[in-house]
Amino acid sequence: MSTYTLRVNGQQHSVDVAPDTPMLWVLRDALGLVGTKYGCGIGQCGACTIHVDGKPRRACRTAVSTVGTAAVVTIEGLSSDAKQPLQQAWVELDVPQCGYCQAGQIMTAAALLKENAHPADADIDNAMNGNLCRCASYVRIRSGIKRAAEIAAASTSSQGGK
Amino acid sequence: MTRAPGTPSNTIDRRGFIKAGALLGGGLLVGTYVRFGADDALAETAPTDFAPNVFVSIAPSGAITIIAPNSEMGQGIKTGLPMIVAEELDAAWTDVKIVQGDWNPAYGRQSSVGSGSTTANYAPLRLAGATARAMLIAAAADTWGVPASECIAQKSFVVHTQSNRRASYGSLATKAATMPAPANAPLKDPKDFTLLGTRVPGVDNDKVVTGAPLFGIDVRLPGMVYATYTKCPVFGGTVESANVDEVKGRPGVRDVFVLSGVSGLTPGVAVVADSTWNALSATKALQVKWNAGPVASQSSTEMAAQAAQLAKANPPAALPENAKVVEAAYHYPFLAHATLEPQNCTAQFKNGVMEMWTPTQMPIAGVQLVAQGLGIPSSNLVVHITRLGGGFGRRGSNEFSIEAAAIAKRLDGVPVKLMWTREHDFAHDNYRSNGWHYFTAAIDNAGKVALLHDAFVKMQGGPGDMGANGFPFIAIPGSKVVSSKLPAGIPTGYWRAPGENGNCWATQSFVDELAHAAGREPRAFTLELLDAIPPAAQRGFDIARMKAVLDLATGKAGWGRARPRGEGQGFAISHTNNAYVAIVADVTVSKAGELAITRLTAAVDCGTVINLSAAEAQVQGAMLDGISAAWFQKVTIEGGAAAQTNFDSYPMLRMRQVRSAVEVHFVKSPLPPTGLGEPGLPPAAPALCNAIFAATGKRIRTLPIKDTDLKWA
Repeated sequence: MSTYTLRVNGQQHSVDVAPDTPMLWVLRDALGLVGTKYGCGIGQCGACTIHVDGKPRRACRTAVSTVGTAAVVTIEGLSSDAKQPLQQAWVELDVPQCGYCQAGQIMTAAALLKENAHPADADIDNAMNGNLCRCASYVRIRSGIKRAAEIAAASTSSQGGK
Repeated sequence: MTRAPGTPSNTIDRRGFIKAGALLGGGLLVGTYVRFGADDALAETAPTDFAPNVFVSIAPSGAITIIAPNSEMGQGIKTGLPMIVAEELDAAWTDVKIVQGDWNPAYGRQSSVGSGSTTANYAPLRLAGATARAMLIAAAADTWGVPASECIAQKSFVVHTQSNRRASYGSLATKAATMPAPANAPLKDPKDFTLLGTRVPGVDNDKVVTGAPLFGIDVRLPGMVYATYTKCPVFGGTVESANVDEVKGRPGVRDVFVLSGVSGLTPGVAVVADSTWNALSATKALQVKWNAGPVASQSSTEMAAQAAQLAKANPPAALPENAKVVEAAYHYPFLAHATLEPQNCTAQFKNGVMEMWTPTQMPIAGVQLVAQGLGIPSSNLVVHITRLGGGFGRRGSNEFSIEAAAIAKRLDGVPVKLMWTREHDFAHDNYRSNGWHYFTAAIDNAGKVALLHDAFVKMQGGPGDMGANGFPFIAIPGSKVVSSKLPAGIPTGYWRAPGENGNCWATQSFVDELAHAAGREPRAFTLELLDAIPPAAQRGFDIARMKAVLDLATGKAGWGRARPRGEGQGFAISHTNNAYVAIVADVTVSKAGELAITRLTAAVDCGTVINLSAAEAQVQGAMLDGISAAWFQKVTIEGGAAAQTNFDSYPMLRMRQVRSAVEVHFVKSPLPPTGLGEPGLPPAAPALCNAIFAATGKRIRTLPIKDTDLKWA
């Protein structure tokens, strides 16, 4: 067991866990942030996607000992008011079916939109292909990403392009 | 039992299951009442009062609470069932709060299987809503001294137009509880529905998109420990010995023990630790000597050889002379459910009461397993139904319930979360049975099918058997299905649209094959077969509804346009869970054999559409699920165990493969709703395979499709 000081969703947390513990289980068991989901444990399904220094990472393949002081963001920290454009679009278009994969889908999509504010279908394919949806809600996930891009663009223009 | 916080008053005499009464502290509640029959195990938990099975309550504050009794697994039932109550109640949807019901026999059918929740609950929930509405109207009419017939209900208010008076449901609720409950509260004409048939987003979407705890795997209790439960990879195997003491010394481990000899519980080794990761790490150090048992000799290869032998033993009758004979053997493999949330269950055994938090499709199945296996009376079982990270039939069987409960009983007092790894989930599924159809057909000189014989083989046990009572068999006089079974051993179970998920693929592919063999246009050929079904054989199969969805789907999809080689269109139809579905698939296949779906068009007659958003999502998802399975998936048995272990060896449809439009068109219908979790699935795979044939001339007779080289020149 070792002690790690982590920066998660803007807050510092100290955890005492084995060095090889994946961030997935640190978040879920030690910090009680259960929005990040276990699906496969081998980086195949994307249900555990988090941001580490702004980049999408599979929390099941990210050992706590490798995170250091990097800023970790989980679905719980994506917004303080559930009004991040992807969250708004997901509710507006009723994207979730069972919903289990959706935190991972949203985190991957958030990283995509940060890099590419208006992704084409091929960009969405490339960014989202690692995230499985067992309910196959892919049609609405794709629409949701496009809708979120619109919401974000409208909000940017209404703020005078700030 | 806890006494209910309500006073039972007026029992409604309509099938004896609606009751109304007062909420403690004022307000109205309407609930249901279930008579208990032969099932004594359940009778002991029969409520002495009716408040625990309240379906709708209206507080003086105006808050309207509706119980959702069934398990939400993405099919939208937690939103859809309360919508039925709200429609008849004329409640403003924004005033409604939905509460997930725990397991309670008083709620009636809580098993969320067979696309049956909506069908089973539609009538009683309409009546519950209508009863509350009638009592609220009666209260307003009495207050105002006007006839009830002059009052109408509107968005959580009762309105008397002539005198321009209105009163909120909240203000009327306490008085309403004292009004006589009508014996037969009038139901709306479906054409007057204002909520049903509209698009209503899932009631828990906000929680889903913010990562709030919802699922079984998210349950956390003070002092909770984490457990794995390792079973023999070979089905039916038992524990001979395990290095229990060694694993007990691993970091964070609280206990390690063998469980065996418990009725209904597969023997195995429990590892209990202070965190999931410590439990998983310690489990890797577990060394178990198994008694593999007789199933170790079973393999998919051997089963295929046995199936061919069984089919050969059931040949068709003498073939008509001068007829064209068409023979084809179709095979579909075992499938895993692979719910994205692996099986899990949290349990605590305290003071003789087993309290469980279970992602289950059939709470009653878990209750029975735990009650019988562990000797805990069902009155001492509390089951909280969590949200399910996918169901697809997997969570009808409840092994995880008894595994968690057995561990919790041993840990007496300490809450424990049992979690299956993905690998364990693949290794210990109740798979969709493999199946073989050896078809023989004869086409006479007039191009008519004169004989259809199907030597069908599947695993012993589980669902998915078939006879000649469905389409196309009922359209062909003297057609025959002879069903034989492979020896049991590999557990099989309910997988979305049981039976139909494989059999519709085989039969609808073969009908397409027959159309081509007869030199007929496939759509005209199917319409002619449908018209040939004699009235005596129709039994619940409505030819007109079937033809209507085929017309709608092919019309929307632009059926029949000439296409260049490498592009193709195929269709298939099914009648599943009483819904009628036709699907048209458009594909391209490159010369190198790369398959792409360019369009999917479904037409559905499911009676009344409850929630258009959820209905559309279910059909889209079911179609793509059917295509995902047909294109990519198989579980192979080697040495009595599943060879696939995770999503790297069991691929699934991904975003890149869903570039096309996926359209769903509903037939407008006033008929009662069918369920819709399953009906969209069966015709998807045959529509796809028929389209591949149209594009390439290659007939897919063995699934998954990816095992066939689609290259053409």
